[in-house]
Amino acid sequence: MILALALSFMAWAQSPTGGIKASVVSRGDKVPVSNAKVALQKDGITLTTAITAEDGSFYFKDLPDGPYSLSVDAEEYTPIQINVLIEKGNVRNLMFVTLTPQQSNNDLDDSNFAEFDLDDSGYTDAPTILFGSNDVFTSVAGYGFSAIRFKNRGYDSESQDVYLAGVPINDAITGYSPFSLWSGLNEAMRSKDTTLGLSTSDVGVGGFNGVTNINAMPENVRPGWRFSALTNSALYRLRLMANYASGQLDNGWSFAFNVSARLGGNDWVKGVYYRSFAFYAGLSKKFADAHRFSIVAFATPGQRGAQNASTQEVYNLMGDNMYNSNWGYQNGKVRNSRVRITCEPVIILKYAFNPSSALKAEATVLYRTGYNGYTALDWYDASDPRPDYYRNLPSYAYIEDEDYNRTNEEKAAWSQYAWTHRGKEYNNYQHLNWDRLYNVNYNNPDGRSKYALEERRVDQNDLNIALNVKWSPLDYLTLNAGLNGRINRTENYKIMNDLLGGTYYLNIDSFAERDFASNEALIQNDLDYFLKNGSAEKITKNGKYGYDYYAQIRRGKAWFNLTYKKNFLTAYAAGSIGVDAFWREGLVRKGLFAGLDDEGKEIIYQGKVLTTYDAEGNVISSKGKSATSTFLVGSAKVGIAYDFIGGHRISANAGFFADAPTFNQSFISARTRNSLVAGLKDKKTVSADVNYQYNNNGFSVRLTGFFTKIYNQTDVMSFYDDSQQSFTNFAMTGIDQRHLGLEAGVKVPLGVQGLSLSAVVSFGEYIYTSTPHMVQTVDNNSSIIRNEDVPYWSKHPIFKIAGYVDGVPVYDEDAEGNPIIQGYQKHYVPSTPQLATALALNYRTSSYWFFELNGQFFTNSYLDMNPLYRTHFACGGGDGVETPAEIIYMTSQEKFDPAFLLNLSVGKSWYINRKYNIGFSLEGKNLLNNKNVKTGGYEQTRLISSQGKDRYYRFDPKYFYMQGINYMLNIYFRF
Amino acid sequence: MKTNKIFAALAAITLFVSCEEFQPVFTVDYENPSPAKPVEMTATHTIADVAQMYTNGTFKASEYYRVKDYIVVSGVVSTTDQPGNFYKSLYIQDETGGIEVKIGKNALYNDYLPGQKLYVLCQDLSVGQYGLGSNGNGMIQIGFSDPSGSYETSYLESPIIINTHVFTGEKGNPVTPVVLKESELPGSSDTQKTNKNVGRLVTITDLTYGWDDPKYGDHNEAFVLLYLDSNKDKKASSNRIFISGSGTGITTWAMSKAKMTEYLYSGIWDNVYIGNAKDYNYGTVGDRKGDGTYPTIEKAAGSVSQYFHTPSGKCVQIRTSGFCKFSDTEIDPAVLAGTKKISVTGILCLYQGNIQMVVNNIDDIKIQ
Repeated sequence: MILALALSFMAWAQSPTGGIKASVVSRGDKVPVSNAKVALQKDGITLTTAITAEDGSFYFKDLPDGPYSLSVDAEEYTPIQINVLIEKGNVRNLMFVTLTPQQSNNDLDDSNFAEFDLDDSGYTDAPTILFGSNDVFTSVAGYGFSAIRFKNRGYDSESQDVYLAGVPINDAITGYSPFSLWSGLNEAMRSKDTTLGLSTSDVGVGGFNGVTNINAMPENVRPGWRFSALTNSALYRLRLMANYASGQLDNGWSFAFNVSARLGGNDWVKGVYYRSFAFYAGLSKKFADAHRFSIVAFATPGQRGAQNASTQEVYNLMGDNMYNSNWGYQNGKVRNSRVRITCEPVIILKYAFNPSSALKAEATVLYRTGYNGYTALDWYDASDPRPDYYRNLPSYAYIEDEDYNRTNEEKAAWSQYAWTHRGKEYNNYQHLNWDRLYNVNYNNPDGRSKYALEERRVDQNDLNIALNVKWSPLDYLTLNAGLNGRINRTENYKIMNDLLGGTYYLNIDSFAERDFASNEALIQNDLDYFLKNGSAEKITKNGKYGYDYYAQIRRGKAWFNLTYKKNFLTAYAAGSIGVDAFWREGLVRKGLFAGLDDEGKEIIYQGKVLTTYDAEGNVISSKGKSATSTFLVGSAKVGIAYDFIGGHRISANAGFFADAPTFNQSFISARTRNSLVAGLKDKKTVSADVNYQYNNNGFSVRLTGFFTKIYNQTDVMSFYDDSQQSFTNFAMTGIDQRHLGLEAGVKVPLGVQGLSLSAVVSFGEYIYTSTPHMVQTVDNNSSIIRNEDVPYWSKHPIFKIAGYVDGVPVYDEDAEGNPIIQGYQKHYVPSTPQLATALALNYRTSSYWFFELNGQFFTNSYLDMNPLYRTHFACGGGDGVETPAEIIYMTSQEKFDPAFLLNLSVGKSWYINRKYNIGFSLEGKNLLNNKNVKTGGYEQTRLISSQGKDRYYRFDPKYFYMQGINYMLNIYFRF
Repeated sequence: MKTNKIFAALAAITLFVSCEEFQPVFTVDYENPSPAKPVEMTATHTIADVAQMYTNGTFKASEYYRVKDYIVVSGVVSTTDQPGNFYKSLYIQDETGGIEVKIGKNALYNDYLPGQKLYVLCQDLSVGQYGLGSNGNGMIQIGFSDPSGSYETSYLESPIIINTHVFTGEKGNPVTPVVLKESELPGSSDTQKTNKNVGRLVTITDLTYGWDDPKYGDHNEAFVLLYLDSNKDKKASSNRIFISGSGTGITTWAMSKAKMTEYLYSGIWDNVYIGNAKDYNYGTVGDRKGDGTYPTIEKAAGSVSQYFHTPSGKCVQIRTSGFCKFSDTEIDPAVLAGTKKISVTGILCLYQGNIQMVVNNIDDIKIQ
């Protein structure tokens, strides 16, 4: 139980007798809690009770001097007790009595967040906003905007600081919040503290996109038994969960466990399925009131099938925007080729020292280990097995525009036929043809597999230490401070998951083979093995192959946050400083990037020197340690808030952040070599916000204006390019972006008890502001394919149009014959609506029914851009001459259509003898069954040459769509 | 009552399991599919018949050489694209001749094994000729219609076209090459109909390097066509470099990108003109030397025809792709010097009336 006495002061009251008054508010953002039952007790006997008013206030008058105890109990909050002493006939004004929410209102949980981590497309599995707080904006937007993949204020997932038990848990390699580590453990992980935007937290300074600390300790888990069964149509059909927590027992022990299973597929995306389990156990013991030791362990082993993006052509052919090309039938059974297979246990040890209300210190050790695999088809010298490979589509044979030189309408009609007819005989054209892959492998008499299922492993060993202190030397001054340390060694490699009917797979780089056929050493994935044994290794099931390297990360950071809080004024200054270092350590020697041998000599095979050098003369090496990149990181933040009488609050925050680039954005091709992205710099961010809040009489208002500028970001994209017959890598540096916007939430009571209307809006402009630099490399040789600026990244010119001929614009020219530029079109930060609004009608009865009708509108969402299309090279075409038509066509950024969504939820809970609680919640999402809402996607980084070779065309982009109508029903029982 | 409940529970589970969405949940090990069974069909025509139908105009240019009737030819696969000298295409042969089936996928040898019987349903496909020139015939092929007009046929490419027209039969009967006498070699106007060796796997012996062209009176050793920029118009004279005749300096069967770069940098082609014959208005290769890296000349693989002659002086070219795995294999100096003869086993092709041998692999070329 946390008792927060925000402020207390002695009033020289005139009344002859004493009293106690206060407002009951929710923890975190101080929303008033009405209808709370407050009981006044003296010597264990209840004297009187009061119900808090709309603004959460209560007042006990005419009390004689002496010690009293208040117990405060409100629906959905953890009850608390407070001791109050009345002296000299004064009225004690406690200002705020803070309650911790026991659960979010209608028992929704993050189970519905799509675990959407399509690595290859940059998607992650993070929910948009964590809704641990009772902020009026987040309570509507946090859960409600997840289906559209709304990003809070347009920020990336990695900007969201997530802590687990006081330890920063954002992934050491990517920076993303690793929610999948504890997904399915909703009960154990429910208790969390959330701050928004630039606000600081008790566990760290935080960044500019909020801090969430998931408590995860057994004493924080809601006591009692709880069982739930959930079925939903969006992700997995069935979730079964059981949970027990003891609460703190009289002997000081607390323990809790939580288990769950998530099984099945969904209504929309075939091949996506869950076979996931989750286990949590926690034990803690409090000694002598001041010491607490806790140990927690959890894991979520299991597997789930993934979804893939396709082009609009494929979706239209299939008549389904939810088409998934990852699966096919094997012996008549659905099999997905992209399966995430994980088991990453986490162990937390915590010691907390809490000698007085003025001092609290914690030391936490968190260790994450296990494996994280992701399967994919691999093939050697065989045709691309993906059903939606672009050459299998009608557009590869015929496009109306003759400039594409695709004129075979009849061939296109055949392909069209294969895609648009339904039935068993067409399955192998529309889905993976597993049976064929096996048959190809059977055809090799020596058992060599041509097709195989690889499993890309990212296995972390992540050791974290956090020391946190909270000290209030004076009642108006609080110092939070801490030290964080991290040692992370992540091994990246591939194992052979399934040989698909063969007996071995050869460990060579099939992409290199085409270019370097004459030198067998160059195509080796493991040159040392080849030199020792004279041939490449034959990989059998579960054997390591391909690449193998450690990502090594070391971090240390010290931070503080000093808060001054007196009367109505709160002010803080916070800062952190630290070191972030990382390097790559190659564990195998790749033939193409042989480097030097153990004695530092060049490696020679059959008289040819294998060792290669980059443009600066440095050895390009795949094995051994790379140079260590060390960055000084830090942050500084200040903020001020003032509470006015009547529930108004104004606050402002400002911050500066210097962050290291993440490991995965720092190497041009970490799979193959130690080479760092050239010009790697730390990312700098300045950010500020101003907030107005009002909470009174059931009204809630929050209005926030924010401004953030991010400098020097790096982005590395990597994908298979069949024109290069290799993995190709685009490293972009110097990406700046600016986020400017408003965020508002209003909640208005509607006269009838329990009925309220909420409205939220998030409106911003999130744009790119710099000209980044791009370097393109491929995995199968060391040369740099392209090395140039990306001039049309942040904007493209708008040319003056003289008129139209057959609907095609003709561009005006000046006297010198140059096109006339009238202005510029900005390019936007993608994959989130930059205008998002919602209106929610909420009704909650005293008999525990609730209803919510929710309408949402989203617009100004844009497609993720690739850098290649924004270069002079791409706009110039084969003749190198950039025309207005080429520039407009090639550089424009797609804007998605607006979307309107309607959602309804209803729930009820029953209390039986005040001991048993049974309830359900039923939610219908996207009731209008809108199936045409793009949530994201990406441009393919490829060009098509025109017939006259004087211009280039784009490949079609790939999209993700939001699902249509969905249900979720959760039934729970607890006691 | 209790049994009813159990039954209901079982029924519910069965319902779940039978549902496709639960298949991957409950299938821990996917069983290996059984091997595909060979198709049994009957050929309605021989390869020579089809060639004859082409020659007599059954398939009309105005209809993109489309086959309208139910015609099935069968034959045994005689080529492999594994080493890469054949690409996206394969040859089948019966007793009457051999014919190319332009399937249009990579690594066909995985699905269509050398020695496997194939049945090709020609209906809706096209039968056309490639390589017809003023000097003579090219090869009659099975492909798909090509409305672009570039060629008489295009590749099948579309998976449904392939799967509904090319059927796989019994495996394991590799063809044995026939050793040809000089008299059995085709003339420039032969086809699969008039000479059964055309399009089949054959062996030609006693070949000596180089060939004297009686028509122009010059000596030919090697021939290759390169482009300054393959991204630009390949038919433009200004974009073409012909390296031909004698003294080309090419000592390999073909040249990969790396080998081509090596040849170029060595300066052996510096005196070669850019442009088609009789259009030498674009300077020489040497003019573009720059800093020694010939920056305006694209570095790319090149396919090479190496010229040989039979004892009676008949020309036999060995045509090798720059993309195949053995492209950079050096020709034995003794062969180049004409002191050693070779025998070659490959598909006997005609290109503009000239004999071109296309080998499956490097060991199909043997020094005698």
